[in-house]
Amino acid sequence: MLLLLATVPTFGQTRVVRGQVFSKKDNQPISGASIILKGTAIGTATDFEGRYILQVTQESFTLVYSYFGYQPEEVYFGDDNLVDVYLVPLEEGEELLVVQPVEAKEEEDIEEEPITLQKDAARFKSPGDLIENIPFQSFDRAMQGRVAGLAVKAASGIPGGLVNARVRGVGSIFAGNEPLYIVDGVLINNISFSQFTQTNPLAFLNPNEIESIEVLKDAASTAIYGNQGANGVILVTTKKGKQGRARVELNAYAGETMPIKYLDLLDGPGWYAMRRDAFKNSEASIPEARALSNMGVLPDNWNQLSPAELDAIGLNLPTYDWQRQMMGNSMLHNYEMNVSGGTKSTTYYLSGSYHFSGSSFDPVDFERGTIRASIKQNIGKRISLEANANLASIAQNVPFSLDGSFLGNPAYASSLILRHNPIFNEDGSFNEQIGGLAGQNIAQVNAFNSGENNSRFGVGNVGLNYNIAKNLNYRGTAGVDYRDMEEFRFRDPRTPDGAEVNGRNAVASHLVERYMTHHTVDWTKRFDNSVLSIYAGYEFLMEERESKFSEVTGISTPTLNNLLSGATLVSMDSIWTGYRRQGAYLGVNYQLAEKYLFHVGSRVDGSSRFGRNFTYGIFPFVKLGWNISNEEGLKDSEFLSLLRLRASWGMSGNDQIGDFRAIGLFGPGNTYSGGQGLRPISFDNPNLRWETNETINLGLDFGFAEGKVTGSVDVYDRRTKDLLLNLPILWINRGENFLRNIGELRNRGIELEISTTNLQRGDFSWHSSLVFSYVKNEVTSLYNNLQVMPDNPRLAIGQPIGNPAFPGQQAPGAWYLAEYAGVNPATGRPMWWDANRNYTYLPGNGDRVYLGSNFPPYSGGFNNTFFIKGFELTTFFTYEFGALVSDGQYNFLRENGTRFTFNALRDVNDRSWTAPGDMTDIPRNFALSGGEAARSQIRNFGSASLLKGDFIRLAQVKLAYSFSTELLRNIGLQQARIYAQGINLWTLTDYPGYDPEFMGTGTGQIPIHKSYNIGIQLSF
Amino acid sequence: MDKINLFKSTVLFLIFVSAVFLNSCSLDVEPRFNSNLEDVLNSPAGIESALNSIYGNLRSLEHYGRDMFAKSDALADGVRAIGNSGRLVAENNNQVNAHFSPAFWQKSYAAIGELNLILDQLEAGVEGATDAHLRQWEGEARFLRALYYFDLVKVYAYIPTAIYQPGVVDQGGIPMPLLAVRIADVAFLNEFPRASIQQVYIQITNDLIRSANILRNSGRRGVQYASDGAALALLSRVALYAGNWQLAADSANAALLSGVGQLLSGQEYVDGWATPVHPESFFEVRVQTPEESLGVNLSLQGTYNTLLDLENKNIRGGWGDLIPSLKVTGFFGLTPQQTGNPASDNNNWDVTRNEDIRSKLFTTGNDQKFARRQIESIKFMGKNGFAYGDNIPVIRASEMVLNRAEALFQLGRDAEALESLNQFKVSRGLDRVELFRQEILDEILEERFKEFAFEGQRFFDLKRYGLAIDKRSYLGPNAIVPFEDFRILAPIPTREVENNRNLNQNRGY
Repeated sequence: MLLLLATVPTFGQTRVVRGQVFSKKDNQPISGASIILKGTAIGTATDFEGRYILQVTQESFTLVYSYFGYQPEEVYFGDDNLVDVYLVPLEEGEELLVVQPVEAKEEEDIEEEPITLQKDAARFKSPGDLIENIPFQSFDRAMQGRVAGLAVKAASGIPGGLVNARVRGVGSIFAGNEPLYIVDGVLINNISFSQFTQTNPLAFLNPNEIESIEVLKDAASTAIYGNQGANGVILVTTKKGKQGRARVELNAYAGETMPIKYLDLLDGPGWYAMRRDAFKNSEASIPEARALSNMGVLPDNWNQLSPAELDAIGLNLPTYDWQRQMMGNSMLHNYEMNVSGGTKSTTYYLSGSYHFSGSSFDPVDFERGTIRASIKQNIGKRISLEANANLASIAQNVPFSLDGSFLGNPAYASSLILRHNPIFNEDGSFNEQIGGLAGQNIAQVNAFNSGENNSRFGVGNVGLNYNIAKNLNYRGTAGVDYRDMEEFRFRDPRTPDGAEVNGRNAVASHLVERYMTHHTVDWTKRFDNSVLSIYAGYEFLMEERESKFSEVTGISTPTLNNLLSGATLVSMDSIWTGYRRQGAYLGVNYQLAEKYLFHVGSRVDGSSRFGRNFTYGIFPFVKLGWNISNEEGLKDSEFLSLLRLRASWGMSGNDQIGDFRAIGLFGPGNTYSGGQGLRPISFDNPNLRWETNETINLGLDFGFAEGKVTGSVDVYDRRTKDLLLNLPILWINRGENFLRNIGELRNRGIELEISTTNLQRGDFSWHSSLVFSYVKNEVTSLYNNLQVMPDNPRLAIGQPIGNPAFPGQQAPGAWYLAEYAGVNPATGRPMWWDANRNYTYLPGNGDRVYLGSNFPPYSGGFNNTFFIKGFELTTFFTYEFGALVSDGQYNFLRENGTRFTFNALRDVNDRSWTAPGDMTDIPRNFALSGGEAARSQIRNFGSASLLKGDFIRLAQVKLAYSFSTELLRNIGLQQARIYAQGINLWTLTDYPGYDPEFMGTGTGQIPIHKSYNIGIQLSF
Repeated sequence: MDKINLFKSTVLFLIFVSAVFLNSCSLDVEPRFNSNLEDVLNSPAGIESALNSIYGNLRSLEHYGRDMFAKSDALADGVRAIGNSGRLVAENNNQVNAHFSPAFWQKSYAAIGELNLILDQLEAGVEGATDAHLRQWEGEARFLRALYYFDLVKVYAYIPTAIYQPGVVDQGGIPMPLLAVRIADVAFLNEFPRASIQQVYIQITNDLIRSANILRNSGRRGVQYASDGAALALLSRVALYAGNWQLAADSANAALLSGVGQLLSGQEYVDGWATPVHPESFFEVRVQTPEESLGVNLSLQGTYNTLLDLENKNIRGGWGDLIPSLKVTGFFGLTPQQTGNPASDNNNWDVTRNEDIRSKLFTTGNDQKFARRQIESIKFMGKNGFAYGDNIPVIRASEMVLNRAEALFQLGRDAEALESLNQFKVSRGLDRVELFRQEILDEILEERFKEFAFEGQRFFDLKRYGLAIDKRSYLGPNAIVPFEDFRILAPIPTREVENNRNLNQNRGY
């Protein structure tokens, strides 16, 4: 990257002009407005914030600003390099290019110059089209590598599954680490709750409906969200209608998903030979017969056969491809249409979409239909009403299990089944005689079992904007986030797991409701040389969740809610939980001479989750900014287009501690003599409260080389104070554990975002952007001066806390293991380092050392876009470095059949120690424990099976062609674009398992897939 | 700008905002499937449910469900663990740490904590409860607290009548929290030291005396609940352990007069073991439903028997992990005896018996699935109408007669002691005996050994007289645990010692 930057040519004679384009109607920035150098094809378009930068090789010139629905504007550039432009909307029905005088009454409204406040926070804002048509089911996953300081990982390859998003490291051990997602002002509950698959609640929104995504990272920016802001805030704005004639857009794509990798496994004879040699190494008698017996193919007359004859049987075994039987390609398609437009008083946006994606493991899939409506109505000059409604219905076929070493789980067993076992009998029926420990025919299991999750979403709000007086505005909204989910999972009686109970059906339903209201008042006034803005707000939210679970056995065909048709009700349970929160805030923003920025404020925020002594907390913030480039002397610099220094301090809270954790509760106890029993299940915890995040942020925004290089650097110190720790209560005090706000941890990091225009000549241009994050995460304080948590030594001062895979899990801590020292070349036995750095076969607890964590300190992305004529080529790479992961699936394979009769990886087997002098990391094959082998630790012990999760991935490659507008006008089209796109096509990694991108144990999880799609976008 | 309009709209707006605010400013959310601590205990139904859970806790594996009987006996010399399931073998061999488990400590103290909450609430009053209610609950709660504390102190500490090197290596009694704790931070800070053995016994005695007094006038609810008789019977046992002989004798007499448990004799006694509620019981732990049973692996029946049905011994039941030791088979003249043909039919086998009526509580077992047709105790045979469901008699009337005899002997009233002993022996089909001084005590202890075989008393009888556990006759020459050995006391759970700076671990652990 640095090399690329160094080769960027500089043009001494060029001018760089920049500014912002606004609508005169509402003073909102216009994104996508076109700016053309008059009389040429040279031009650019505004970004989401309406900003533009254009480089012109002329002394003086005229730029033409135009946008659909607005009158074009021409501006002559003499000396000025910074020009903001206000486009005047066209009247309804007015044709483009017809010039009309501006109405006098509109003049009144703009008698004062529009007021824009400058960037003062560590926030990232991305236009929605950056992730347009990336075939992910929820937008959070598409953010991977796009934002410095936001680490995103898919938890598994389940389409529409969980996404692990962490803003600026991991800030909590026992409370949640989920960012706050706000879609058009609606605070979304983004917890899955599904029992049988992963559902991502953010999938209710078709990612293509997003106008922009903004990520607030520092506590000074999130303080205004009070006790929900600690883990960052992600603000999503959806597309809205614009004034003008109706515009219709059609968007469709289709493609295929494909496994990223098939593992290279031992074949039938290969496994036999490996096992035979293992028995030989263990000095077992008749190793050939033992190996065949393990595989379930020892002939009855084996004791009449010679070792050579037995060997011949083993070495001539057939091989079947269970992986390709169970894994494969699947469909991917997406169709959507929207209509938008509006008059002076009404704007609207209506859309519908359908999306389907399979996975690498049939039938696990995702199918979604959405409908969205957004309407805004002006009533007179002072009042406007708006309504946004999102309806979505999602159906997902569920996997056998989300993870785990279940022999019926295809994602687990497909690589572990011994491959000499046929999948089908000769008559085409399923082979039910499977030798080896993975003894279920998963093809049969997969064909007979079923399960579905059906989710229905209603998310939306209504809002009122009221211009109370000059400079004084009120805005009030009421929103709802509603989710209704029903699901079942059926174990067919013809499968081993269903047979023992003659069929088992588990059913669950979940209802999640959130209601919220938000009211703000703001007053903004421009003085001679400064702008003052004061705002205040109030917010209230209530949430309720009810879940019901039941399970029946003795059932031969499944349907949802068919409990009564089951022979036996095995279990039935239900949960109700809920909470409320409210907060009020006040802020003052002052901007002096476009150079100095001051912004202070605070929120008072309370939640029913907190103890009665700490219901409300105060979350203040201060932000300062200095626009160095607006200082005299620099203002006219041609090289330096922007230089802005930012400093901020703020506090925000983390309320993700669960409901009712602060009050002493009675729950079900022992029944006795026909009577109900109740017992206390928790203590009153009146001091339980939010974890406080305190962040100091220093940032620098820059633009130089005539605007060809822009970007920002942020350095932060994020401290979590009042960190919740699980403290032991003595059993003599009726106790187990309780949460107390007592510890401290810290995330420090550097974030870098650079965008460059590397080349721009005629019709060709090349743009790059680099995102880089580094974060160092460590525990800084525990309780009672402890260096290590007594019940979990992985949590220790100075060590990272790791990344919890799923909401509700506690952070795992650092890896604290005996360090693997490889294989003793003399004996082939695995060795570890002991505490004195000597080799040992039998490391003990005292030999454990800290070895980092599963959270990558380095991550980011690198995007390159090339334009030539109508073509556009995008290549987007993501990367992660420094994480150490444990992959349960790989660990089973790494055992190389020594513990269980499971299949093994060819590479691992080939690396096995075979003769004295071999230098390798894989021990000799050994079949029988006992003797000296029993005095060694097992081969996966300690750090032996830890894997580096490093990777660089070509996350997106896309070639698009936009047809020229002249051509299209003749056939009645406004825009037409076709493209071909590949996702995750290439990964540079040493990772020996399916893929380094997963969260959780890795055992039996569906790995993420790659895909390609081709698509077309039309607008009328 | 129209001032009036502005004023009007501002007022309207403020009214709107205030309405929204007032409507939503409460942050109270009540849980629906669990209940608030105060709400539960401040209602009669809540108190009853809370007491139920504490009674039910006695049924757990670590308490009377199995360990208080089977593990105690496995530690002592009355049974042999044959390892059909592998359970209780380590305890029978008195291996280090094979003793009462951490869960026994944990669950007992949890129950005590709950009782402290209840007693605190009763003192403050319960909405809608009569005085009679309050007295009844208090009596039951005090009985339960005494029982839990007594079981803890006899396991984790020496018994007052035989303290090994008191004041030198005596670690004291056990921590004794008596106050209600509702707040987590308070519970976190409470690091109770071990109260002295004497303090603990005084506390237990006081609770029992108060319980017996206030339960005397209240209506009885059945032997599965505490009663004045139960409190007196337990008091007799506690006093016996404490060496408070007069109190032991008096409370044994009072218990026998209370009319709760009746001493049975002859076949009546044997039949008592076949009825759901043993007529001798002063207090039983009720196992009412199959869900409450610990099942084939862990229940007393499953631990003591391979049989499911005495009528058909060919149906394999539990594991029969503990069988009578040679000492016990010797008491009752038990040897396997074939009673018919073929020998392979388990129904064609039984045991030989002597005149002791208690010999009828043994028979031969089942030989399927690794079992070897051993002699088994049939005190627990699923009497409640479902397999592995037996009420567990915690205190029986026969103990009162023996307690009285022992206490009278210790008071030097040998004649009365011998009379009490002989009264008991006759009830068990034995002849009267004429004995002097120490012989009387030895005979009383031997009768206790016989009477409470498979009921978990032997270990503590040895412990309170400072006697060695001698299993050399059936487990080999090293199978003796002298009283000086640290394994007489159970290890205190590591977690408790590590997190409580004031708590000393028992010697040797």
